[in-house]
Amino acid sequence: MIAFDDHFKLATTDLKKILEAALSRGGDFAEIYGEYRHFSFINMEEDIIKETAEAISLGLGVRVVSGDKTGYGYTNDLSLDKIRRAVLTAAAIASGTGAKSLPRFQRVRVKGDPYPVKEPFHKTNLSQKIDLVKKAYLACQKSSLKIKKVKVGLQDHIRQVFIVNSAGIMARDIRPQVRLICAAIAEKGKRREIGFSGGGGRVGLEYFRDVLTAERIGKEAAQDALTLLEAVEAPAGEMPVVLAPGHSGVLVHEAVGHLLEADFNRKKTSIFWNKLGKKVGSELISITDDPTIPSFRGSYAVDDEGTVPRKTLLIEKGRVVSFLQDRLSARLMGMPLTGHGRRQDYTCIPIPRMSNTYIEKGQDDPGDIIRSVSKGIYAEKFEGGQVEDSGKFTFSISSGHLIEAGRMTAPIKQATLIGTNIDILRKIVMVGSDLSFGLQTGTCSKEGQEVPVTDGCPTIKISRMTVGGKS
Amino acid sequence: MKKAREKELGELAERLIAFARKCGADEVEVTVSDDREFSLDVRLGKIENLVEASSRALALKVIKDKKTAFAASSDLNKETLKRLIKNAVARAELANEDECAGLPLVFSDNTNAAGLDLFDPEIRELEPDKKICLALETERIALKDKRITNSHGASLVTNEILTVLANSRGFAGSYEQTFCSLSVGLQAGETDNKAEDYWFSTERFFKKLEPPESVARRAVERTVRLLNPRKIKTQAVPVIFEPQMTAWLLGFLFACISGIAVYQKATFLAGRLGTRIGNKRATVIDNGLMPGRLGSRPFDTEGVACQKTTVLDRGILRHHLCNTYAGRKLDHPSTGNADGAGVSPNNFYLVPGDLSPQEIIASTERGFILTRTIGHGLNPATGDISRGAFGLWVEKGEVVYPVAEVTVSGNLENILRNIEAVGNDLDFRTAVCGPTIKVAELVVAGE
Repeated sequence: MIAFDDHFKLATTDLKKILEAALSRGGDFAEIYGEYRHFSFINMEEDIIKETAEAISLGLGVRVVSGDKTGYGYTNDLSLDKIRRAVLTAAAIASGTGAKSLPRFQRVRVKGDPYPVKEPFHKTNLSQKIDLVKKAYLACQKSSLKIKKVKVGLQDHIRQVFIVNSAGIMARDIRPQVRLICAAIAEKGKRREIGFSGGGGRVGLEYFRDVLTAERIGKEAAQDALTLLEAVEAPAGEMPVVLAPGHSGVLVHEAVGHLLEADFNRKKTSIFWNKLGKKVGSELISITDDPTIPSFRGSYAVDDEGTVPRKTLLIEKGRVVSFLQDRLSARLMGMPLTGHGRRQDYTCIPIPRMSNTYIEKGQDDPGDIIRSVSKGIYAEKFEGGQVEDSGKFTFSISSGHLIEAGRMTAPIKQATLIGTNIDILRKIVMVGSDLSFGLQTGTCSKEGQEVPVTDGCPTIKISRMTVGGKS
Repeated sequence: MKKAREKELGELAERLIAFARKCGADEVEVTVSDDREFSLDVRLGKIENLVEASSRALALKVIKDKKTAFAASSDLNKETLKRLIKNAVARAELANEDECAGLPLVFSDNTNAAGLDLFDPEIRELEPDKKICLALETERIALKDKRITNSHGASLVTNEILTVLANSRGFAGSYEQTFCSLSVGLQAGETDNKAEDYWFSTERFFKKLEPPESVARRAVERTVRLLNPRKIKTQAVPVIFEPQMTAWLLGFLFACISGIAVYQKATFLAGRLGTRIGNKRATVIDNGLMPGRLGSRPFDTEGVACQKTTVLDRGILRHHLCNTYAGRKLDHPSTGNADGAGVSPNNFYLVPGDLSPQEIIASTERGFILTRTIGHGLNPATGDISRGAFGLWVEKGEVVYPVAEVTVSGNLENILRNIEAVGNDLDFRTAVCGPTIKVAELVVAGE
């Protein structure tokens, strides 16, 4: 028997039979992915615990690959009859006959623990979780009389997955995930602004004691809204842009990370497809994706194809050195697996995705970077961004500051940065020594599938970039 | 077959309601859905992915002493569901009392979507080969154009969804609906100077789907018109929104007039009911009862009848769109927009005018046609908008060249107050939609 005997009553012989049936039409590769997810949510607003929720997701997906074609079927009814139907759907992608003998299953072993949790959230009782929510709420509300509305949400889940495939891999992963988010609305006269903060990751209750307290999350959200109340319109036009450490990692995620996902390069839609080994940006810049950072939101012990992930250097001193791979792209491109095949849930086919992506730290003093700018902006917090395969991207600043004569001056509000990735990579002229990561609350969307991610970067100076503000 | 499934799921809902009542819940609402999905991607003339599945899901809400708890499960095992109900009742006790909590008091009479034309029986019967041919044909036609240099592929997706809703106040309704869509994404130009775009058709009835030729042709036109873009200087100019862009603007308007955002004071339009937020050209309607439309449904997820609501009447904000809870908070009746714990638009559209898009362009001395935006950059608290943009530059009433790497920024209220022209090209391609509009002035930031 494998994995979660409570939920999947599948013996090793059943798994073998399923995989054999999946390959009965002559596919090259077959895989079973099983998932059980238990989710809990608490929402506080208007000074009350307004609602709580609990959700269970249970299902199984069968994938068959034949050449570069993928067939997929899934079911949340785990009777053998329904599983068989999913298998037949997936198998039909191949059109032949074939009886492949399966190798012996080898259990995948993982070194180290990416989730060093002491007090697991899924075993924490509801009243303790409610306490945490209330602490963030009150800390935010008490920050200032200008805070008129607070909203706090705590989500946690435990996701158990197993993967068994016709290459003989048998893997499992039990991934915790927690996210505490606080939103604050501040008012001054007729002006109204929203601030946010949050924290979490693949952590236990102790995180909110030892790493980032609920009170601090509440206070940061309030501060964010209060700062925006004083913010002026962002300028419009081309100017130097300094990216604050941490949150600005969304730039590397959007502008560069996505286009280094192998599927876009295999299909030659990414601007990077013909640039492996080539220099595409400043020598100051190196970019890494690392799914093995303990406790991080984007980490995992095995990916959703059962591959043990590795820290992957993508850009080394301005040169493209590798892509983020899943099994399909790695095989078709003849490249090694990196362990970046991820999926939103059992209803989805795995595709290459980022995990925790960051720009490596450089040599510059962050203070010197700001002092080097006579007129520009300092981008601090972001709502997110988007990229096209052609390399054109945007990302939205939700707060920042003007830089005038080498000093940070007035706070600015909403603006959009836009550019083409290779152009921006070339224009990175200073990289700080202060690498940090953004909030442990990020979610990345690709082809309709959402997965948790983080990103990070040190202070960075881009010599010129188009800023879309209003003044 | 349909009847048997509806009956089975309806009975399951009733049993769960009875069980929850026995566990101490004052009120209970159960939703069960049964979804059949077919999804096909083809690329460069070959099948890439084929997914086919059916799945069920259940969601429930219990209220005890004016305290609410939600639960959901894709595991319909009897013991799992019973445990979830017990947990929900116990959790409700840990929440706080909320005067506005509770099920609605008045429900829809239309418990089976009669007259709404939401379901196409042909979709179930479609042969996979027919769907595969359609997707392949769409991409093949697009790739025939020599200016197209790569393909993101074509997709054909169909969904068949049965929704069953019952509650402890005696409402029991169910309806089936179908969706199908055909789309293709393309690239033009060389690796380092590529333009990309896509086009699609989404309908409830398979035979209404636009044919491959027209989806492909439109996708090609949209992609190649962006080739060799120029940058422009930062300036404030008249901006013409193509229908998809008006739809995007309306999506943001919805977020700002949703009853939930309003009672939470998370929107700049809180407290603005009865006041002017747009000019006389801005009339916006939400209507859940338009036969055959994508956003139609007989009742919302609480069983409240969908209706036609005039949200903006020649610029005056008349209604927020509410579920029962937000309605009670705002002393405003539910508008039949409940969606789970939140609200969502039904068919939400800007009423069209009588100018053709060509006439609107021809009337523009200098301006920017907004064809696509990317990124985030919408702030409901202020109405501020700032987005990356693609578009076409207009001089003397004619399109002269494409523009890229610019951003547009403005404010929703200012935009609605400065609509200079409204097109006649509303096509309900998406549930939230609008015609071409021209806005007096927005900042387009470039060099």
